[in-house]
Amino acid sequence: MNLKTRKLAELDRVIHEPGRLMIVALLSAVEQADFLYLQHETEMNKGTLSSHLSKLEEAGYVEVTKTYRGKIPQTLLCLTTEGRQAFQQYRRRLKEAL
Amino acid sequence: MQERADVTKVDQVERLMQRPLLYNNIDGVGELGLGFMFLGSALLQWLPIHASWWHRYGSFLGFMLLITAIHYGVKAIKTRITYPRTGFVEYRRRDFFWKGMIAGAVVGLVFGVGATLAQQLHWKTALAHLGLTTPAALFGLVIAAGYAYGIAKVVPWKVAVAAAMAICSIAIAVLPQGVIGSMTANTSDFGALVSDSVGALLLTFMLYGAILLISGGISFALYMRRTQPVAETAE
Repeated sequence: MNLKTRKLAELDRVIHEPGRLMIVALLSAVEQADFLYLQHETEMNKGTLSSHLSKLEEAGYVEVTKTYRGKIPQTLLCLTTEGRQAFQQYRRRLKEAL
Repeated sequence: MQERADVTKVDQVERLMQRPLLYNNIDGVGELGLGFMFLGSALLQWLPIHASWWHRYGSFLGFMLLITAIHYGVKAIKTRITYPRTGFVEYRRRDFFWKGMIAGAVVGLVFGVGATLAQQLHWKTALAHLGLTTPAALFGLVIAAGYAYGIAKVVPWKVAVAAAMAICSIAIAVLPQGVIGSMTANTSDFGALVSDSVGALLLTFMLYGAILLISGGISFALYMRRTQPVAETAE
């Protein structure tokens, strides 16, 4: 196995999936965003987005907060410190692998 | 081929990270706020010159009121219209802080160079006129370039807006002396040369304010047409 292939193999599988990569990249640029914003930007349906968010939450990369905006329920999402570090490491390894 | 696809993937990740910042003006409200800021600033420059009743501290108070009104106005539109349609985003404060600092430094540098240039040329009337309108024109060109880089590269039709801004700045730099001087009424408080400088800045603010209001208004209308408030369901 050459060095580049090894670097690719070391990529974080949780983040590397295209749907989750989109979510993490978007959240990395903000303090927090709500579910509707992610749905608008990623163009995923609610079920798919929820499923990806659950996996990211399980990995400890995303923090989910249920709240209200006035009387309307709102789901706020933000990257945890661990999530930010994992994403930075992912970007670094991806660049090294190419 | 595979390598090329991977490079594209890296680019896509970088582009995705820029999207939340561009989202700030998805509804055109950012431009509307900036447009009101330019027009309000022009009014606050115009009033001390043309209104005898205007108190000299009024400009400071007026500017504070203007900033407050724009801040809360933008916030109200975002809360009532944008967030229910396309979602809420809270930005990282440090991003805006550093960008603000850099933008301030660039504008300061442009004004400094322009003012030095104007001072050195003021003994030659013809060159002095060019020198004193140059800072305003340069300021305009910096704003136009920033607009082209930040907004027009993502929304193709906004290239026309950036071009209109640049043309206005160049036109201001080459306008006849009397026209710009008359903006400040060639008052005794301002010498003819300083009159030109203030007049050029006043004209820049007025034109940029109008252009940004039109552009922001069109974006806002398009946004309202393309989006609908999302029905309340479980997430």
